[in-house]
Amino acid sequence: MARRGDRRRLALLLGPVTLFLGTCFIGPMAVMIVFSFLEPALYGGVEWSFYHLNYGRILGWADSEWESFDPVYAAIFLRSVRLALTNVVILLVICYPAALWVSGLSARWRTLLVFLTTLPFFVSLVVRLFIWVLILRPTGFLNSSLIGLGLISEPIDIIFTETAVLIGMAYVLLPFMFLPVYASVEKLDRSLIEASSDLGGSPLKTFFRVTLPLTLPGIAAGAVLVFIPSLGNFIVPDLLGGAKVLMIGNLIEQQFLSARNWPFGSALSVMIMVVMFVLIIFYLRQIGRQGANQ
Amino acid sequence: MSGEEEARNQQTPIAEVREAVKRFAATEGGVITALDGVSLKVQPREFVTLLGPSGCGKTTLLRVISGLEELDAGEVLIAGEPMTTVPPHRRPVNTVFQNYALFPHLSVGDNVGYGLDVAGVPRRQRNTRVGEVLERIGLGGFEPRRPDQLSGGQRQRVALARAIINRPSLLLLDEPLSALDRNLRQSMQLELKTLQHDLGISFLFVTHDQEEALTMSDRVAVLNKGRIEQVGTPEAHYHRPATRFVAEFIGDGALFSGRIEGPTEDPVLVTGDGLRLAVALGTTVNQVATLLLRPEHLEAAPEAPDAAFGVIEVRLKQSVFLGASRKFVCCLANGATVTAAPTGAGAQALSRVAPGELVRLAYRRDQPHLILGADDGT
Amino acid sequence: MRRTWVKRVLAVHGALFLLFIYAPIVMVVVYSFNSNPINMMIWSGFTFDWYWTIFGYPTQLNEQTLYVDSTDRLLAAVQNSLIVATSTTTISTVLGTMTALALYRYRFRAQRFYQGLLYMPMVMPDIVLGIALLVFFVSFGMALGLISIIIGHCTFLISYVFVVVSARLAGMDDTLEQASADLGANEWVTFRRITLPQILPGVIGGALLAFIISMDDLVITYFISGVDSTTLPVFIYGMLRRGVKPEINAIATIMLMLSFTIATLGLYFRRRH
Repeated sequence: MARRGDRRRLALLLGPVTLFLGTCFIGPMAVMIVFSFLEPALYGGVEWSFYHLNYGRILGWADSEWESFDPVYAAIFLRSVRLALTNVVILLVICYPAALWVSGLSARWRTLLVFLTTLPFFVSLVVRLFIWVLILRPTGFLNSSLIGLGLISEPIDIIFTETAVLIGMAYVLLPFMFLPVYASVEKLDRSLIEASSDLGGSPLKTFFRVTLPLTLPGIAAGAVLVFIPSLGNFIVPDLLGGAKVLMIGNLIEQQFLSARNWPFGSALSVMIMVVMFVLIIFYLRQIGRQGANQ
Repeated sequence: MSGEEEARNQQTPIAEVREAVKRFAATEGGVITALDGVSLKVQPREFVTLLGPSGCGKTTLLRVISGLEELDAGEVLIAGEPMTTVPPHRRPVNTVFQNYALFPHLSVGDNVGYGLDVAGVPRRQRNTRVGEVLERIGLGGFEPRRPDQLSGGQRQRVALARAIINRPSLLLLDEPLSALDRNLRQSMQLELKTLQHDLGISFLFVTHDQEEALTMSDRVAVLNKGRIEQVGTPEAHYHRPATRFVAEFIGDGALFSGRIEGPTEDPVLVTGDGLRLAVALGTTVNQVATLLLRPEHLEAAPEAPDAAFGVIEVRLKQSVFLGASRKFVCCLANGATVTAAPTGAGAQALSRVAPGELVRLAYRRDQPHLILGADDGT
Repeated sequence: MRRTWVKRVLAVHGALFLLFIYAPIVMVVVYSFNSNPINMMIWSGFTFDWYWTIFGYPTQLNEQTLYVDSTDRLLAAVQNSLIVATSTTTISTVLGTMTALALYRYRFRAQRFYQGLLYMPMVMPDIVLGIALLVFFVSFGMALGLISIIIGHCTFLISYVFVVVSARLAGMDDTLEQASADLGANEWVTFRRITLPQILPGVIGGALLAFIISMDDLVITYFISGVDSTTLPVFIYGMLRRGVKPEINAIATIMLMLSFTIATLGLYFRRRH
């Protein structure tokens, strides 16, 4: 229904949001990208001249009196990617069978369990992480229980390790994997699985030939949704990883709040953003291709 | 009579559509022409049905009149007034939607009273009229109910009540009976017709069900691919279809296309595969035409048929019991199927024929309708 | 036979899955009533004292075990959080709903651009958005405080409301609006009487979601809050960084209960419609 006056109404509806997101979302992104190409000056200031060594420090071509390439940055970046990927795999292993289980229940139970799974998502992130600090601390629940049971005599070091970071990230990001995977498992036509076992496919064969390929879109969505916030996380490594398990998020935070090298911090952020965009474009392509095939 | 005098002699139509053209962008790209130069008039107190297969443009035509779609070319007049710049909420027509479109958050009473409410009718007066209308359609006292507490038939009635409460000069009905089961549909057909008569307003009714169209309408317009194939009374459509499409769409019957040949005192239609069918005396020879043989035209041929009859030789395939009568499905030499539904003695004669046997059928050569002109291929 | 075996394994896994999610939560709630002031993880009796402590009431607990050095600062953080969450919810609900309506109702060339623009803040990692806002506010000389936090939260919460309301709109029967117009209602009346009641559950759901996320946001707020504008999550995060003391259990339990209540309320609204 294109009528006269529609354009005016459309402008009225979209005007405020355009103005707001234009200045307060696109604006900051643009300023950050500009900053990442500026030269850091003393005491947290910037020189207004083009400077590419912020990236060089991370990727390996910087060599000036101010900055030099330090492999530690690349190492932190790689560790972040590795931990984020590990987290994706862990969550997939946790959530996929759980989604299969829930989808096999009656409608009432399904609704209840989906609700129960998402409920912790509404609980403050700090609270959820605090719980794990309590559990994993040397004097925490885990160690107290294990010592109480006589299984160990000395507290084991688990907090401030990669394991602790992975546990925390899995706990915090669980719904992001569970929901998309569950949505695709639930949509799955049960008769296809029955048909496959009817045709003599063993449960394992049926799973790998029918169930898994059909739920791949959900897995892909969950992987992207978990990977992106894992990569840039700094709260989890800060509370559970300490100084030993620095991730790129902690590095960025340091640049802004202690080292006061804003251009370098901006460059690190831009790199996370680039990784995110590459992932999302790749993901949308895949989804688009699947849509075209069907 | 000049055209002007003729126009003056007629009443102003309630609604008139002139050369309407409407195109949509297809989802796969390209353009769908939903209306391709449609013209139609609806007279006061008239029940007009738009009949056609799905996608023929009948619903679009309805929406163009109600103002929910805008025309790309042509115009719509209601009571003589051009409607091009009039938005739907100012047009004096109301619609019964196919899915009824009852407001789920409003009670039955508020649904029915909605049109009065937005027009500013005070509550007391509104309640009285809602009560009357609900009473009229047999749902008295249903005001406090919610739409989801109603059966399909009741929802249909509420939708109807809601659309007639504003006393529109023209009521548009978009396949309102399609969601009902067969028995309910048949009783609603009669009720709608009675309602239309009592209210004294015009109905423009959309359906793909030919039986529905023939039962209820004063006039039927058959649409196909965005064009009107034929407008006229149900009888005209049945007995004198203007095109092969109409003949196929309405009623049963076998169609034979070919060329009229032979002496003028015995013209025959010769089909491509050599079948010869007698046609009415006086038919101009040497032209292409299509013959429509309805089941009731055919009966068992007498021993020595005179020149007033056409005769075909067929093989009986199946005899189908229909309750009050029987129909005989037969197969022609060229493989085409014809159905005969004779009455009385003719039926008895055919009942004795066993399936698979050859039998001669006859028809009065002046009875079947002949569609002149080239086969339009539909 | 084989299939029941598979089912059993899945059920055991499902039980462990729920245990992983809820055991830690139950633990915090239980230990928030533990009266042991020296080791939080050794049960020595039931007490409400930690709850009294956070609200500033005198208790029998030793001053040294205490941690909320000033109840006033905690309450100020709560107040800041509530101010931010209410303002953010209002702004983002209005803007998000308007955008959803515009993109649902009209077909125009920039439509895909707007869709992308609205999804972007949701997928953007918190830290990237947080520091981009920080750099932006500082380089344009804007003081960091409640206003900057509100702006920052709105940039991504508009998107959440937009998504929830859009889903509701997509599920709406669009012949309802047509029927309303057909019955003589102009566009404004149709919006007020038909469209708005239809999408209201979505709008309320979106608003609740925005409120919870705003109350809970840590990363973005952490970067763009000023000295006097600490919100509750940032305050607790600060406490946690200084060490773990028992009364956080009580704060965590109160926050848990609040979140659960709001989430359940949201679900109730969605199911009732």
